[in-house]
Amino acid sequence: MNAPAPDPFLAAQAEFERALRRNIKGLEYLASPAPVLGASAKDVLVERGTMRLYRYRPRVDDVYRVPLLLVMATTNRGYIFDMVPGQSLVEYLLDHGFDVFMLDWAPPRADERRLTLESYVLDFLPSAVARVQEETGEPDVSVVGYCFGGVLSLLWAALEGNGPLANLVTFTTPVDFSRMEMFQAWADRRFFDVDRLVDTFGNCPGDYLYTAFDMLRPGTRAVTGARLYDQLHDDEFVKSFRMFDRWASDILPLAGEYFRQTTKLLMWENRLLAGTLEVGGRRVDLRRITAPFLHVAAQHDHIVPTEASAPLIGMIGSADKEEVVLKGGHVSLVAGGNAVKRLWPKLVHWLGVRST
Amino acid sequence: MSSTPPDYAAFFRSMLGEWEKATNSMGGQTLKSEEFVRMLGGATAATSHAQEAFRGVMERALAAANMPSRAEIEDISARLARIEGALFRMEAKLAELAPAATEKPAPAGPTRNRKPPETPEG
Repeated sequence: MNAPAPDPFLAAQAEFERALRRNIKGLEYLASPAPVLGASAKDVLVERGTMRLYRYRPRVDDVYRVPLLLVMATTNRGYIFDMVPGQSLVEYLLDHGFDVFMLDWAPPRADERRLTLESYVLDFLPSAVARVQEETGEPDVSVVGYCFGGVLSLLWAALEGNGPLANLVTFTTPVDFSRMEMFQAWADRRFFDVDRLVDTFGNCPGDYLYTAFDMLRPGTRAVTGARLYDQLHDDEFVKSFRMFDRWASDILPLAGEYFRQTTKLLMWENRLLAGTLEVGGRRVDLRRITAPFLHVAAQHDHIVPTEASAPLIGMIGSADKEEVVLKGGHVSLVAGGNAVKRLWPKLVHWLGVRST
Repeated sequence: MSSTPPDYAAFFRSMLGEWEKATNSMGGQTLKSEEFVRMLGGATAATSHAQEAFRGVMERALAAANMPSRAEIEDISARLARIEGALFRMEAKLAELAPAATEKPAPAGPTRNRKPPETPEG
């Protein structure tokens, strides 16, 4: 049976009302302040140069024995894990009984241009773990790393993790850098003089990285404004747009030597995959990671394509290991409406049974 | 025969999505082409060159105005960081030497006996 055809007059009226609401909301949009992000109650435990360690205040009376340390990527702000109430992974973890800490990053100061991969893997990360142990009195810690935070977590776990590491979780974490095609092309050593860039600027400028991330999807930036205007009548869309747009444009500079090292050792020589990467003079062998391990990849990840992280699960030595590929992109995997339904329950369940 | 009026807004949204996909795909191919990458490398080198030249001019201007250059401020910042580091180490050493004096009372935090639920939580 055919549905009756909609009245063209009513359809035009609905569209007109939507346009009117859109224009009113447009004025509100311009006049209202940006949403406050990363506002869950927390204490700053460490503030040392670029390093920040937070402890979030528990929201339940009884937590799992094993504390949880989130490790943020060095290019982005950690508030992606703590957007706004109801859309915060941190809040979700707290409500489900975890004692949550976060290793986050501030823009490296000019004098921190000499920080290296060793500084992050053999200093910042173990210092954070030690502080979590000290704060909680627990001997072991679960570590959850996002994107390059996952790479740092893997390197630390392979070199020093056996002992304090209870569980390791990585989200969208690359190990085969040859499969990050766009970044590979732009870092082509025939044309990209990383030495000159670092020697000139000290730290790799955040604007430079922002442009690189933006160019991964050249059409998206162009349609963003049109899509926002079209959806201005939808409060939820606008709220979500503002949160993610602010986060995506809040890119951190990278410490110069660290950027030089990661470009040469990982992008050019793909040493992590080859098993020839050395940090502090020690060979990184991911088979040495024996703690329970979970890797979560995003099906439509435009920054770390699934092929770039696919070899990871086979490289880990743990007997208890799992990889899942969930719908979503690099960011929507960890934050936003779909993450609440897909990743977060999976993470809470996987960690819960391993955190007593 | 029933005639459904065209939904221009839906058509616009669909067109926008298709255009975005096509541009991302075609633009992506262009942006990773050797010609583009060569141009990008050239632009980065030119920016570095301009930055170096500008830094030289600024350093001379700051010196003429009897003001510290960026490099000098960075040196001071690095020295402060070293002093901060030394203080941090001294604080840790003092805490080791006099644990009773600095020992914090056990925080009145939550208990740590939680068990996972029988069925996965949502």
